[in-house]
Amino acid sequence: MSSVESRTGPEESVLSPKKTPVLEIEDLRISITSAGSSFEVVKGVSLTVCENEIVCLVGESGCGKSMTALSVMGLLPRGVARVTEGKIGYEGRDLLSLHSRELRRLRAESISMIFQDPITSLDPVFTIGSVLQEVVRSHRNVSRSEAKEIAVKALVQAELPDAADRLDSYPHQLSGGMRQRVMIALAIALDPRILIADEPTTALDVTVQAQILENLRERQREREMGMLLITHDLAVVASVADRVAVMYAGEIVEEAPVEELFADPQHPYTQGLLRALPDISISRASLYSIPGRVPSPQTPPPGCLFAPRCEHVLDSCWEGNPKLQREGNRSLRCFNPQPFEVH
Amino acid sequence: MKHTASRLVYTVIVLFVSSVAVFYAIRLSGGDATAAALPGSATEEFREEFRDRLGLNEPIYQQYFTYMGRILSGDPGNSLTNNKALTTMLSEHGKNSLILGGTAFGLVFLVGVPLGIIASLRRNSWADQGIMSMSTVAMAVPNFWLALLAVWLFASRLGWLPSAGCCGPKHLILPAVVLAFEGIALTVRMTRSSMIESQNSDYVRTLRAGGLSEWRITCKHVLRNALIPIISLAGLRIGQIVGYALIVETIFGWPGLGQVLVNAVLRRDYPVAQFFSLVLVALVVVGNWVADTGYTIANPRLRKSS
Repeated sequence: MSSVESRTGPEESVLSPKKTPVLEIEDLRISITSAGSSFEVVKGVSLTVCENEIVCLVGESGCGKSMTALSVMGLLPRGVARVTEGKIGYEGRDLLSLHSRELRRLRAESISMIFQDPITSLDPVFTIGSVLQEVVRSHRNVSRSEAKEIAVKALVQAELPDAADRLDSYPHQLSGGMRQRVMIALAIALDPRILIADEPTTALDVTVQAQILENLRERQREREMGMLLITHDLAVVASVADRVAVMYAGEIVEEAPVEELFADPQHPYTQGLLRALPDISISRASLYSIPGRVPSPQTPPPGCLFAPRCEHVLDSCWEGNPKLQREGNRSLRCFNPQPFEVH
Repeated sequence: MKHTASRLVYTVIVLFVSSVAVFYAIRLSGGDATAAALPGSATEEFREEFRDRLGLNEPIYQQYFTYMGRILSGDPGNSLTNNKALTTMLSEHGKNSLILGGTAFGLVFLVGVPLGIIASLRRNSWADQGIMSMSTVAMAVPNFWLALLAVWLFASRLGWLPSAGCCGPKHLILPAVVLAFEGIALTVRMTRSSMIESQNSDYVRTLRAGGLSEWRITCKHVLRNALIPIISLAGLRIGQIVGYALIVETIFGWPGLGQVLVNAVLRRDYPVAQFFSLVLVALVVVGNWVADTGYTIANPRLRKSS
């Protein structure tokens, strides 16, 4: 706690009280190099995930949320994206300065990740049981039968039907939802402290989505894991998040406890996202969408990155990008916050 | 198993269609069968009688069935030029061809796959660039020219290897390497791209997230996945080797099926040309079926459906 509280500067993230932080991302910057030119896609993101807490990172595709998640695992696509600045703190260590072998030991054992597309995320030529056991045995010095036991237990916890009989199944023999359960089993088998889930339900049927999400939350609660859930779906956020960070064009623009964010969104982008939620109680209402488009990372606008799309834009918004200001347990990056009106 | 069985049915159909095609193609190629078998002084009457005896005046479909019946009963007939039984020729020359073709086929994969793996693991290094440039050159060089170049260099200039003949290991080296050359180049390129695709796949990212070592991921998971498309195209390599064998065996004087076939065509020895064409077609088709079965074994998605 003390190291966190002693941090100064307006960019620091909001902490829920009485919780120990397990993951502390500080001023993370990630650049992508493509066709010879280099541009920043994550521009100084700071985010803390505490024990037994679900933090949702929300934003449109391309806003840098997946890159942020991958950088924690050290899995940024090689030769394409790299961290240029920042720290990722875990148990007093900076994950970014770890030797690849040390980082590899932490993966699955301490920090796990679930990916978006369960269809392509499992090795098609090996049975799910063999991959699960391989992961277990690469971290723990256990016999084959013990590894098998751990694998079955993880599959049961991930609520894969007939878990013990599925060990010899190949991924193509399972449905998308079942494959995502296998991914969850892989992620929780070794009882990690942190679980990162990158759009874990986006590729699934709506009915399956809810079950998977419920399962993830149960596992998170019973193990008191810190969970970073990346999503663009505000319904997902509302149902599981403790705290929400809204990301736009590589920056966090607003961060707040979930109830407060939905009750009183302050950043015009957050307000736009909430307004864009279709309301089934109003029939034939036209769908709202935020005007304009996300600025290209190669040519960001001067000043506030959201200014070109903002309804309440001031002249000063074009002159400088506002800093993320902390106030109580919320943070906001805006020169001209306005109260939220639904329609 | 179902897949393998259905491929077997398909294979039989291909064999039938191609045998018809070969049979008709040889009939349509023109020329007079009596020219090879009879002396130039033979009368037209005698020639007609000879054709009658061979059944050449029957309707062509009837000739086909008679012919296939004889092949299936194990007696495809004799050569017109030296009256040797075709079955004897097949066992003599077939063995030589199998040695040469088998060696070339082995070289394609034993050399091509490791080089492709090295190139993929050292992407954009000098080793990768060297291997890739070499393979581009190897694909561009026509193999008859390569054969002549190899003979000139290793046989005439350096005197290391015999320029032609059969059938010791020394005789085998030059024709086998020339025969395998283009296949090696193609396999190198395919292995490299297949490895890279597998390295960048989502499931490799999952395995990395699971904390497996890079070495383990590459040797077990990446390689195993990358081999699937390579195995699937092994059938094509068989076809390529059989096709090139005609040229390479002729240049190196290797007494295999290809050489026999080329000579038979030049001498208008119909029974030989027809029979050995069929043999080569059957070899390619059956080889493809075997490669396909290997593909099924390597790829669990085809093995069983549930």
